[in-house]
Amino acid sequence: MSFWPRVASWRPFRYLWPEQLGHRIARQGCRQLSDQLSGAATDAFVDLLLVGMQLFLRLWKPYRRNIKGFRGRYLFRTVDDRVRSGVVFDNERIMRHPNGIEDWDVRVSFKNVPALRSFLFSRDQDILSSLLRNEVEIDGNLNYVYKFAFMARDLGKELGLV
Amino acid sequence: MALQDISLRECWLTPRVTQLKQIYFRAMPEICVERPRLITRYSLEHGLFGRARISILEKARMYRYVLENRTPVVSHTCGYEKGMKRFEFVEDSLFAGSTTSKFKGVPLYPEFLALSLWPELWTMQSRASNPFQITEAEVKALNEEIFPHWIENTILELARKRALNGKPACRASEHNLLEFKLLQWLVFFLVSKPECISHTIPDFSKAIGVGLRAMIEEATARAAATSDSSQKEFYQAVAEVLEGVVSYSRRLADQAEAMARTEPDPVRKRELLDLAQVHRRVPEHPAQSFREGLTTVWICWTAIHLENPNIGMSLGRLDRVLWPLYRHDVETGVITVQDAVDLICCLWLKIGDHVPMIPETGEQLFGGTGSNQAITIGGVDRDGNDAVNDLTYVMLRATELMRLRDPNLNARYFPGVNSKGYLRRLCEVNITTGATPALHNDRAVIKALTSKHDTPEQARDYGVIGCVEPGSNGRSYGSSASILLNLTSALELTLFNGRHRHTGPDRLISFETGDPARFASFADFRTAFRKQTRWLIEQAVRLNELLGRVHQDFYPTPILSAFFEGPMDSGRDLIQGGAVINASAATIIGLADVADSLSALRRVVFQDKRVSFATLLDALQKDFEGHEALHKRLIDPEKTPKYGNDDADADATVTWIVDMLDQAFGEKVNYRGGRYRVGYWTMTNHAGFGRLMGATPNGRKAHENFTSGITPVSGVTPCLTKALNSVARQPAQCLSNGVALNLKYTPESGDPERMLDNFVASVEGYFDDRDGRTEGGMEIQFNVTTHDTFVDAVAHPENYPELLVRVSGYTAYFKDLNPQMQKEIIDRTEYLLSTGSMVFYKPFPIQQARD
Repeated sequence: MSFWPRVASWRPFRYLWPEQLGHRIARQGCRQLSDQLSGAATDAFVDLLLVGMQLFLRLWKPYRRNIKGFRGRYLFRTVDDRVRSGVVFDNERIMRHPNGIEDWDVRVSFKNVPALRSFLFSRDQDILSSLLRNEVEIDGNLNYVYKFAFMARDLGKELGLV
Repeated sequence: MALQDISLRECWLTPRVTQLKQIYFRAMPEICVERPRLITRYSLEHGLFGRARISILEKARMYRYVLENRTPVVSHTCGYEKGMKRFEFVEDSLFAGSTTSKFKGVPLYPEFLALSLWPELWTMQSRASNPFQITEAEVKALNEEIFPHWIENTILELARKRALNGKPACRASEHNLLEFKLLQWLVFFLVSKPECISHTIPDFSKAIGVGLRAMIEEATARAAATSDSSQKEFYQAVAEVLEGVVSYSRRLADQAEAMARTEPDPVRKRELLDLAQVHRRVPEHPAQSFREGLTTVWICWTAIHLENPNIGMSLGRLDRVLWPLYRHDVETGVITVQDAVDLICCLWLKIGDHVPMIPETGEQLFGGTGSNQAITIGGVDRDGNDAVNDLTYVMLRATELMRLRDPNLNARYFPGVNSKGYLRRLCEVNITTGATPALHNDRAVIKALTSKHDTPEQARDYGVIGCVEPGSNGRSYGSSASILLNLTSALELTLFNGRHRHTGPDRLISFETGDPARFASFADFRTAFRKQTRWLIEQAVRLNELLGRVHQDFYPTPILSAFFEGPMDSGRDLIQGGAVINASAATIIGLADVADSLSALRRVVFQDKRVSFATLLDALQKDFEGHEALHKRLIDPEKTPKYGNDDADADATVTWIVDMLDQAFGEKVNYRGGRYRVGYWTMTNHAGFGRLMGATPNGRKAHENFTSGITPVSGVTPCLTKALNSVARQPAQCLSNGVALNLKYTPESGDPERMLDNFVASVEGYFDDRDGRTEGGMEIQFNVTTHDTFVDAVAHPENYPELLVRVSGYTAYFKDLNPQMQKEIIDRTEYLLSTGSMVFYKPFPIQQARD
């Protein structure tokens, strides 16, 4: 007797496993982010993104591997400082700072929220593209931004949007 | 010379090469993680991350480790085609080994810019422009095991930290990092050192002539003989890396023998055993046959690319280096001319077995580029004698049959020394391939190089680097693409009093040279322009120097140094100034647009007073909307002087600019003790920079392409002869980093011989120095494809996989270019040779979507 039907019949139960359950919960928690990735982005976008990352980092082990051994302090802000949010990664831990941080390793200043969204997620563009349009300015180590952009897109992939 | 027919019409692609070529065009590039994985592992195990300096010996041991552990691929068996579908094949090349572990690989150099690919790892397979295949396991390896270790250790980041002098980024002022900001804004200049130095030509004659074992013994003996610790370390490093190269070749031999043991086909079995035999012998020992000579070049070339990014590294005068072995084998009947063509075709395919890593937006600036591995043929030898030989024609024939982007073939021609038959053959190959080889005028190039203090012998032995840059073969570590300066930004800073429209009116970028509306004369404007240009040069050079010093501390190049004249005598690595010639060089983008803008300002604003400066600025801000009459005047060569029409004033403006830039750069001494040189070739940057820039006073509208290389602006030079005269008039001594003159000729099928006659006459006329009255043009390159073909290729790229074009320097496949660059090529001034007149076409609309 072939194993294939048996494996196939077990597939729905995999969602009961803790890891998959974590993934589902994290996805549920990212609904608003998903909406903003596919629709209009508001000022809450940065916080929603960081919350989404936080959820996946806590609940989904494969995503957590992104920050294994990684330390980095990020400040995201609009050029008029209307939106300002910080995040610190410290070896598999993530700490959000909704009012921003002063001692950042990298600061990403963007013209407006859609510009940041485009900077991180746009399908056929990369980070340099936004720089070309002078919509985003980076201070600090650019490599941190490359890493963050991968994590953002990796999150988008988990949400089925990349 | 033994050839009866220099066109070699009886030599064709053999079934082997035909099949290899089909596979080559079918295969998409694949990311290769082998090199970054091995160097990361070695760096972790040996504590090389986070150091203040890495010695040359440590680097050499790392490269040896990679050479001893990389996969010895004798024959690739699979690739990925469009749609990233896997397909299988047998690669029965006459050469073993490969640049990467893939059939057509994208090598990654995480110490340089590979991390810029990080955001794209999940999407690069399906991106619109030139996608790369990558497996999920490779994405994970790069994301988790490789890239994280390089975050603090890339050349650009190490330089940035050095500029901050220990201060954290969040405490630094913008002033600390002004050059980095200018680089990030992209509209002012680019510097290539974060990505590579490469751009040079090694010398293979020693490796071929005495073999690497003798070179190792020499290095070991020199290490033992010197008491200077840095020299000792250098020689030990050279010995280490060359042992690694020998080991790699031996492992290829082992692999070929292992494959032969299980090979059922006796013919293939014999081939594998032959391969093994060749690799047992070379490059360790002197090459005894043409094939062994080529194998030595090839294996050393793969090792050089292990150390140096695959951008602009060039092979030099292979028809000179390999000529004795070729002649011996043909004269003794070891090989036929057809065999030689076959070998060269296989080598050409091997040389093109990799493409550079380019992120999505990089495609917008450098879209469609290969690795720009230039090969130089013909010209004169060190003593000034005719250096064209039978092998020159074999290489031309192979190029004609293969029509490959890489290698980039460049032909030297010395009027009066090289034969007219040779020139005619060069033009014929241009017509058949539509785009190659580029032609270089020896007389002008040698004059340019000797004016920068190369000796006549060194200058006569120049080869072409990357796109079009001349450098003495195996002697000049010239870093020919150090700086890509957008000259139109200097014009912009002058027009807007130290500000730039791209960065906004509130931001003072440089310094104020005065409101141009208040300038009393054109001379005032020109003075301000010179000051802004010099300021921009200062910033670019300062950043290049900082990066150069970081290279010195972290990126010595023992492999490349082993194949150069100079380092072995001085005991110094190339990066420490070990070469005989130690120049750095810049190339300028926007020459013709700036020159025509200056001419327009002088004539329209200051001389004729048709408009005030304030009105002109308003027109530029509004992209000429509401200023249609002014725009019409500015683009009309009858009313506003244009470079390329044999107009003395307009041409003199170009001369003033190239002279000013030559002086400004020439004053600078680099970190290796050499001086800066200047060239005018733009790759695709004239399109990339054009996209970012507003309207200019020559009537160019906002975001339109600038003009390529040293070429006059498209559409304003109706007469071919006049256009050629204007370019040929420019002083060669100010163009020592090479120029690219891009011309488009209409193919004329009615009377091909007459077209060929006219083609030759146009080149002869351009190269002619009029008995010393002019310089004679330095370089010229062509696209010989009909307008209709280009237009159809935009609509149906799948029908034109091999349509080769000259961009501005390098060759590319038209289908791989971004829409902006395709438009630029289609819109270039096209001449009908039978009349010498421009053919008029409407400007081609830019295509938004690709694929």
